[in-house]
Amino acid sequence: MSTNTTPAERLRDAGLYAPGDAVLSVRDLNVRFNSENGVVHAVRGVDFDLMPGKTLGIVGESGSGKSVTSMAIMGLLPETADITGSVRYKGKELLGLSDKAMCKHRGSDIAMVFQDPLSSLTPVYTVGHQIIEALTVHNPTMTKQAKEARAVDLLRMVGIPSPKDRLKAFPHEFSGGMRQRVMIAIAIANDPRVLIADEPTTALDVTIQAQVLEVLHTAQEETGAAVVMITHDLGVVAGMADDIMVMYAGKPVETGTVEDIYYNPRMPYTLGLLGAVPRVDSSDKQSLVPIEGTPPNLAQPVIGCSFAARCPMVSDACLHGEPELLAVPGVQGQTLGHKAACIKADELSGDADAHKIFQAPPKPVSKFDGVARLERAKVLELKDVKKHFPLLKGALIKKRIGTVKAVDGLSFDIREGECVSIVGESGCGKTTTLLEIMEFHPDQMGEVVIGGVSNKAATDRKTTMAMRKEMQMVFQDPTGALDPRFTVYEVLAEPLENLGMPKAAIRKRIMELMKLVGLQPDHVNRFPNQFSGGQRQRIGIARALAVNPKLVVLDEPVSALDVSVQAGVINLLDKLRAELGLSYLMVAHDLSVVRHISDRVAVMYLGKIVETGDVDDVFDNPRHPYTRALLSAIPVPDPNLERTRERIILQGDLPSPLDAPKGCNFATRCPVFAALPAGKQEKCLTLEPPLASEGAQDFACFYPDGELDADMLVVHA
Amino acid sequence: MLKYLMKRSGIYLIMIFLTTSAGYFLAVSSLKPAVLEQEKIPRPTPEQVAASFRGLGLDPDKNAWERYVEWLGGIVTKWDWGRSPNGAYVNAEFADRVLVSTRLFIASIILTLIIGVALGVYSAARQYKFQDRVITSYSYLVHILPAPIAYFLVQLGAISINETVGQRIFFVTGISTPGIDPGWPAFVDLVAHYAVPTFAMTIFGWAGYQIAQRQYLLDNVNADFVRTARAKGLTRNQAITRHALRVSFIPVAQSIAFTIPAIFTGGFFAEAIFAWPGIGLWSIQSIGLQDVNVATATLAYGSVIFAIGAILADFATTLVDPRVRVQ
Amino acid sequence: MTNIIDPIAEIDESRVADQDVVIGKSRIIFRRFMRNRTAVAGLFIFLALFLFSIFGGFLTPWDKETLDPFNIGMPPSPDHLLGTTQAGIDLMALIVDGTRTSILIGLIVGGLSVLISAVYGCTMAFFGGKVDATMLFILEALIMMPAILVVAVATSGSGGLKNLPSWLLLVIVLLFFSWMGTARLVRSLSMSLMQRDYVKAAKYMGVPSRRIVWRHLVPNIGSLLVLDFTRGITGAILAEVAFSFIGIGIKLPDVSLGVLIGQATGQVSSFPWMFWVPLTVMFLLTGSLAMMNDGLRDAFDPSSSSVGRAKRTKPQTAKKITK
Repeated sequence: MSTNTTPAERLRDAGLYAPGDAVLSVRDLNVRFNSENGVVHAVRGVDFDLMPGKTLGIVGESGSGKSVTSMAIMGLLPETADITGSVRYKGKELLGLSDKAMCKHRGSDIAMVFQDPLSSLTPVYTVGHQIIEALTVHNPTMTKQAKEARAVDLLRMVGIPSPKDRLKAFPHEFSGGMRQRVMIAIAIANDPRVLIADEPTTALDVTIQAQVLEVLHTAQEETGAAVVMITHDLGVVAGMADDIMVMYAGKPVETGTVEDIYYNPRMPYTLGLLGAVPRVDSSDKQSLVPIEGTPPNLAQPVIGCSFAARCPMVSDACLHGEPELLAVPGVQGQTLGHKAACIKADELSGDADAHKIFQAPPKPVSKFDGVARLERAKVLELKDVKKHFPLLKGALIKKRIGTVKAVDGLSFDIREGECVSIVGESGCGKTTTLLEIMEFHPDQMGEVVIGGVSNKAATDRKTTMAMRKEMQMVFQDPTGALDPRFTVYEVLAEPLENLGMPKAAIRKRIMELMKLVGLQPDHVNRFPNQFSGGQRQRIGIARALAVNPKLVVLDEPVSALDVSVQAGVINLLDKLRAELGLSYLMVAHDLSVVRHISDRVAVMYLGKIVETGDVDDVFDNPRHPYTRALLSAIPVPDPNLERTRERIILQGDLPSPLDAPKGCNFATRCPVFAALPAGKQEKCLTLEPPLASEGAQDFACFYPDGELDADMLVVHA
Repeated sequence: MLKYLMKRSGIYLIMIFLTTSAGYFLAVSSLKPAVLEQEKIPRPTPEQVAASFRGLGLDPDKNAWERYVEWLGGIVTKWDWGRSPNGAYVNAEFADRVLVSTRLFIASIILTLIIGVALGVYSAARQYKFQDRVITSYSYLVHILPAPIAYFLVQLGAISINETVGQRIFFVTGISTPGIDPGWPAFVDLVAHYAVPTFAMTIFGWAGYQIAQRQYLLDNVNADFVRTARAKGLTRNQAITRHALRVSFIPVAQSIAFTIPAIFTGGFFAEAIFAWPGIGLWSIQSIGLQDVNVATATLAYGSVIFAIGAILADFATTLVDPRVRVQ
Repeated sequence: MTNIIDPIAEIDESRVADQDVVIGKSRIIFRRFMRNRTAVAGLFIFLALFLFSIFGGFLTPWDKETLDPFNIGMPPSPDHLLGTTQAGIDLMALIVDGTRTSILIGLIVGGLSVLISAVYGCTMAFFGGKVDATMLFILEALIMMPAILVVAVATSGSGGLKNLPSWLLLVIVLLFFSWMGTARLVRSLSMSLMQRDYVKAAKYMGVPSRRIVWRHLVPNIGSLLVLDFTRGITGAILAEVAFSFIGIGIKLPDVSLGVLIGQATGQVSSFPWMFWVPLTVMFLLTGSLAMMNDGLRDAFDPSSSSVGRAKRTKPQTAKKITK
């Protein structure tokens, strides 16, 4: 490390300038782990002060040390971890406390909500038991009745319906969002002064994310706790946080108020991150800011600035000595002060343009751009496609107890050179739709026409092969989609060999493909695990393109990737579409990505399309209440907007497709329906609204643009 | 739940029927008691043998199918599992044998379970430390030692203790000394007979539980829910004993029930080595005596024990795991 | 990648790439296995025993039929390296023979049962539905049968099976009861493999099923099968010893380690070498297999610690910028 002061000196300073009223003070926190590849220096000098009732957002990508920081504060790291520095709760040093002594603070003074709600609750105990346990640990004298009453209160506070009965339920009887609410209930059980939330909504759907964020907000209001919100999503913290700390390679690289960070970033990494995320509220289609490369390996000492290898502004000076986190001149902050760890922070003042600095590629132009949609040929057409699963019960002799209509009468088409996206919550049938298209079998319900070939005609291998050549797929998980035993060459050769291409031609084609997706051609003999996630996804894309298809089906192509890597892959997809004249059918839960990349969008709910049209029409003027709710659930990386905007919070989860209502599927959760007078509600409950064209788009609702129920509307003033 | 168990039992009943029938055909076609009769003195004529067997329902002249029908008919109508070549009724001896076997195994089953699970927890808590390495290496060593040889080695050890002390402390074979006075002497005699086989079966039996419990617990000590429990304010040890242990016990509970049949076969060796006249020894002896009906009856007993084990496993799982309770 | 890459790093990378070309996958596994000292020691002991069982006969002028009337029940001596039995037969000759029988039983049962379970398990997974349910039922019924009784009946009966040599009879019966566990494993593993994205990808490319099974399924099940092969050998050898020990497995005149150990139990105090020598050989045999198994598991398991070193990605810091 190349700091100017020794840790001891910094600690002494820390004691001097740590504000006495901070509820949590962290100074020069360092964490080292032993690993197979040597000592990993996961956290390298984190300082912050958390004021009572305030919210600090820690933003960073995977491996940036943000979660390790929170675990170090909680004292939950394994004993083998080497932790130095200082963590003070109301002035009391927590580091170095024994597990037992630390237990007095954990759960009562400092509580934590974890990322994965599905695995964070013990499966064999009831929810009530687990909440009461948190109460018992810190209040041994509390009576059983009092604890139960408190548990019911807590469940009510986090918005769990009929809390008294649910106390006896087991975690597996709850959905992910509900479990996360229970986690929050446990965390706030003892009125903690500090609440740490580590990616609390990452595993959840956007609508559920909005609910859980709302619950966190309520919880903070009720308890007055200070919150540390850890996330990779700049949107999530924009509306919640007072201060932001951006971490990179185990170190804070920029700190300041939300306004400082979002509107006046002084570190190229922050700037790049903000430019790398597409915006759901903007129709601007210019390329995203790509941050090339990968974060440094923290098992090796960091020489110079940790971001230097990926920074477009790098100079020789950046490679000598790691820059200190220093106050940005000219700006006076309230709590943290705006600080950046960059020797060029001054150059970034004011109106620095991330696109220019990171050399974002120009927006690619496709030969189809000038051609009107209806004049282009159809690449894919779906006519009333259905996929119904029998719901079976019984161990050996199975009884059919119902039908799950995963996809229920889907019709749409994709024209040359366009990208159509299907969006919706998990369970809405979007992935099933993709699989139905990929299966391409004459026995399917409904017709799938690909490149003029209908599935009804796909009875011989020649027809199916012709179709396979037209359409290829890119998978969500780049690691799982590549056989770990194949080299990249073998991976890319598989579709070509299948076509019977001669060896020499295969070799030439593979070299072309590698260049096309921005990989070094001499890496073909490596195995997938020698590549980073983003590179693996590029391999997956190259494989899909190998046979020169017209249509590429993209199943959540960037959701498994880090934000900074995402941008590069999205830009690549954009470029390939323009250059090769490809069409895309994409499924994604990230509506910002959808807006950025697609031309058209279809919103699905319980197996049906509820709204479809040009992406800008649908996103700028959503008509169906579900689309309105979905769009409103997306947090925007713009603090001012995020604090003032009105958001629709849907109640409950996606209902099981089994008990789909008779009339409109969405009526059970619909904010418009809830506000309707009983007379008008009748129509929604008995008649199924057809997907009809009105204005610029098609939607299926009797009362578009209807007034929304006040209970489901929230504004954070 | 009850319905589910009934259904499972039904399926197992069919399986027991099939395996037992298959066993009967195998036994009938390969066991020929007449061969042994030829060694008697005075040697009976084949006609005499056939006549006496006919009286016992072991007619060698009938084909396998006819005998199977006859045998099955006896079981279904009169619950009569047939007779041995020497005329004894299978039913008469069965209960005694089962009792002896159960007496022999019960103590070691319980001890094995308790010690195995306890050592598993202990070694998981001290993963990669000296104690863990010793305990776990021992368990792996047991895996490459056949049960009868292990028992025999214990027997040798007991004998050498007897010799060193110069007095017979342990009985290495048999179930009790005939004609012992009731009361205190009978109790001492009982312990002296029990000690060696129980010790042998226990120290060679817990290895499986130890390894399984250790592995499952280690899989769970770093689980997310343990972290949650610690974040509530439980110490690491509290979180592990209250949360991880309970969850790690789910697969162990399943395997416990499934080891019951394994104990039956293991006990088979134990009965043979320690000369306890239980079911296992009976079945081996019966095969030596070319006794079709006893061999089949013991085979059926083995299948039943297996089925009970499997159903118990289901039951145990539903007991400890709420996730499977819903159905 | 827009950054200019350091030439040295370039060379380093191409070297890594070249190595990948040279090193086949089987060689990587072999290397990882060889890195595990215990496993290599196990392999060495096993091979030594194997050679001993074939060529050990040359170490002694005696064979297992010839009695030495001058050395009856003698402890090890220069004439008889491992002593003689109470009948005056050279123990070395018997051990050579017994080891060979045990290894033979192990190899045949281990090999064939892996084969049966692979075919059976894959068939279940591939067809699914009714075929799967029926085959699973048969499998469970077989698991239910107490193997030991069937062994006893088959080897002690005087029916038609009696004409076969006892070791072959034991092989058949052991084989009959040894494959069910692995078959179940193969079934669930192939079922989960068929759900993998890369298998789906191949399917969506139009690669024929046969080819998918051969290129994607088999190599991924392969490691399980190899592991099970060694485990199966150990299991069969142990079972043979156990059965023969209590007198229901191999019958004289065939000789196996189990028979030798079993015979000697009566006279452990008077002829201790007759008991301890075959017991030691058995321990070496099963122990060496267990040691090898451990190494094989490490070599195949992609998550094992030794992989980290074998497949090391290029350190990130090697990439520097010259600007």
